[in-house]
Amino acid sequence: MSLRFRIPHIAKNFRFRIYITFTATIALLTAAFAAFYVITEVNGFRATMEREGRLLATVLAQNSRLPLFAENREALALLAAGTARYPSVLYVSINNTEGRPLTEVNNPKGTAEGAIDMVVEVTSPGLVSSPEAVLLGHPPVDQQRVIGQVHLRLDTSSARERLQKLVAATLAIGTLFWIVVSLVSYQILKRVTASFNLLMRGIEDIGSGNLSARVDLDSDDELGRAANAINAMAASLELRELENLSLQEELLKAMRLEVQEEKKRVMARLIHTNKMTSLGLLLSSMAHEINNPNASIRFSGHIIAKIWNDAMPLLDGVWREEGEFYLGGLPFQQARGALQENAAKIVENSERIARVVQGLRDYGVGDRSGLRPDLEVNAAVEAALSVLACQMHKDIWLKTSLNRELPVITGNQHQIEQVLINLILNAMQAFPDGRGVVLLSTRFEAAAGEVVIEVEDDGVGISAENRERLFEPFYSTKLEQGGSGLGLYISQYIVAEHGGRLQLTPRPGGGTRARVVLPAQGPAPAAT
Amino acid sequence: MQLLRTLVVGILLLLLPLPVLAYDVLVLQSLRERSYDEALRGVRRECAASMRTVVMSDYAEIDLTRLMREEHPRLIIAVGDRALEVAERQRNVPVLYMMALHAKVRPGAPVTGVWMMLDPQRYLSVFDSLGTRRVGVLYDPQRTGGYLKRAQVSARRSGIDLLAREVRSPKETVAVLESLRGKVDALWMLPDLTAVSTETTEAYFLFSQGERIPVVSFADAYLAMGGAVALSFDRYDIGRQLGGMAQSVLDGTAVEELPTQYPRRVLMKVNDGVLRRFKLAVPGGS
Repeated sequence: MSLRFRIPHIAKNFRFRIYITFTATIALLTAAFAAFYVITEVNGFRATMEREGRLLATVLAQNSRLPLFAENREALALLAAGTARYPSVLYVSINNTEGRPLTEVNNPKGTAEGAIDMVVEVTSPGLVSSPEAVLLGHPPVDQQRVIGQVHLRLDTSSARERLQKLVAATLAIGTLFWIVVSLVSYQILKRVTASFNLLMRGIEDIGSGNLSARVDLDSDDELGRAANAINAMAASLELRELENLSLQEELLKAMRLEVQEEKKRVMARLIHTNKMTSLGLLLSSMAHEINNPNASIRFSGHIIAKIWNDAMPLLDGVWREEGEFYLGGLPFQQARGALQENAAKIVENSERIARVVQGLRDYGVGDRSGLRPDLEVNAAVEAALSVLACQMHKDIWLKTSLNRELPVITGNQHQIEQVLINLILNAMQAFPDGRGVVLLSTRFEAAAGEVVIEVEDDGVGISAENRERLFEPFYSTKLEQGGSGLGLYISQYIVAEHGGRLQLTPRPGGGTRARVVLPAQGPAPAAT
Repeated sequence: MQLLRTLVVGILLLLLPLPVLAYDVLVLQSLRERSYDEALRGVRRECAASMRTVVMSDYAEIDLTRLMREEHPRLIIAVGDRALEVAERQRNVPVLYMMALHAKVRPGAPVTGVWMMLDPQRYLSVFDSLGTRRVGVLYDPQRTGGYLKRAQVSARRSGIDLLAREVRSPKETVAVLESLRGKVDALWMLPDLTAVSTETTEAYFLFSQGERIPVVSFADAYLAMGGAVALSFDRYDIGRQLGGMAQSVLDGTAVEELPTQYPRRVLMKVNDGVLRRFKLAVPGGS
């Protein structure tokens, strides 16, 4: 069984194939040469026999020329007997021109099988002229006249014996030669293919993934050059493999970092969402807690104003009748106006509180129901300024430069107001000594189709460290001054929700420039 | 009248070549042969008579009698055996022959000439010079019997034992030569077509090698085959010799007074190597 499985394996072996091919070729060539040699030898021997026979016959013909011409049978018999003494001669006859034998000798020792018959004509000598021609000076003419023939039969049994010996010797020598050549060629092939096997082993090692493997073949022939090329290729592959591993590691590291960053961002959003949810709840609660008393205050204001309006004719009659009297420490005429004005202020401020609370509530719950397609930015600016009117210090100068030909935008006025309030408050808080100028301006950039609101201050500006964290929620440099760290965060969110962008950049000459860019709804209205 | 005069002039013009065709000697040549031409040049050298040459091989048949009757030559020179045979048949005009190896002349016929065979005495002198006393010679009595008789006479005078063996067929040559084995000191090769044929020529030289005896032949060509000495004639001189005889006949000498002659000029060539091998002296040398 092992043999059955070993043979196909061996048959696939390069050395085995070459060896088999080579030995088969040598065997064929040896056989061909042996056959050629035997055939040539046999032919040569036969030709030699024929030549010897022809020579014998020719000599006999020459010698028998005169006796044959003279028809001297005794002399011819002697000549024939002399020729028949040759071992290869079976039969000799000397015939006259009619073919009749004048003498015959049979040699019984040989066999007639395969015998060679040789017939040579006996001719008169050439180049011999007749006496008359000689006397007339004729040159000799080679005119040979046939005067008889010599017939020889040659035995070829010696040739057969020689052939048998020759075949046996040739077979033996050929076989010996084949064995010797096969052994020598095996040794040579073994040496030659050792390099090949070494090369194949190296290639297989490298092919199996062991790129550190090398073909250990030190020669300057084709195989050596192939081994060097394969080693160079393996080294190159190994280098690429290392580079790939390094790149993979870097990729994994980068992916890991990205995941961590994403995780951080998700967590921040989660925290933000959570905070906003809490803030919304807080604002809702605050709105509820504020709205109730505020409604009572507004109602009281209305009641006070209504009562005063009802009471004022009476009090005017009193004043007219009784003269000056005092209310709350103030003369009636002065108190009359002040009470009316304060009652109106109670109602007005209460309504403003209600609006602010509503705004906070809307913001807290993410309400976007207030989006208007025709929002006028300047109106939002003025509303914000009115909210901040009571916050203004006398040392802070608020300058406004509003473009009255701004196009409308799509947005929520309360949220835009909220953004502006945050930015203006930040600007007002940027002065270390509480003095400064805040410049509020609006304009339309027709090329980009954007409405720009800028709030500038000449305050302390923003440090580089803080600039990166400006929009982080709950990050504030004014926590001790009551900052929540949500102003810019919320403002950026609102602006982004409006499709715009909020930028804070250092202002040339000191201070900060806050820039709100909002997409315009359409072209600027024509000037009126 | 005018017509008669024209007829007479025409007949005279027709007769005009007749004096041109008149000649003294008719040269009857067997065939076109360079050696014959060479000999004829010798004839013309010695004989200034007018000649007409007829090459027999150019014609299917020659009517020599008619030719004699019409052209009246004073002498016929026959060149070659066939020409001699034809010329001899007529009896009116004397015939001189040359280059006829088998010349046979009827007794009393007005025929003479120059043989193609040398004087036997010349050969015998060579044998004498070589110191060979027993000389074997093969001959066909039908061809060279007369020559051999003269040779035997001369040999007896010279003290040379001429062992002559007759051969009547070329096939006998080898066996006859074998009969001389051990009996002769030299072989004399005659220009006899029976004794010396193309098939048996080498037998002489094989015998010479086997017996270590020299062969004296009649032509240089045999020296290359193993001959020791060759005595040959000069064809041009034969022509001159015959030309002198022709001139004599034309001058009035009777043919009968001119015996057949041997070639007067003899050329001898030797194969030094053969003589050296057989340890023989060069004939005529010191």
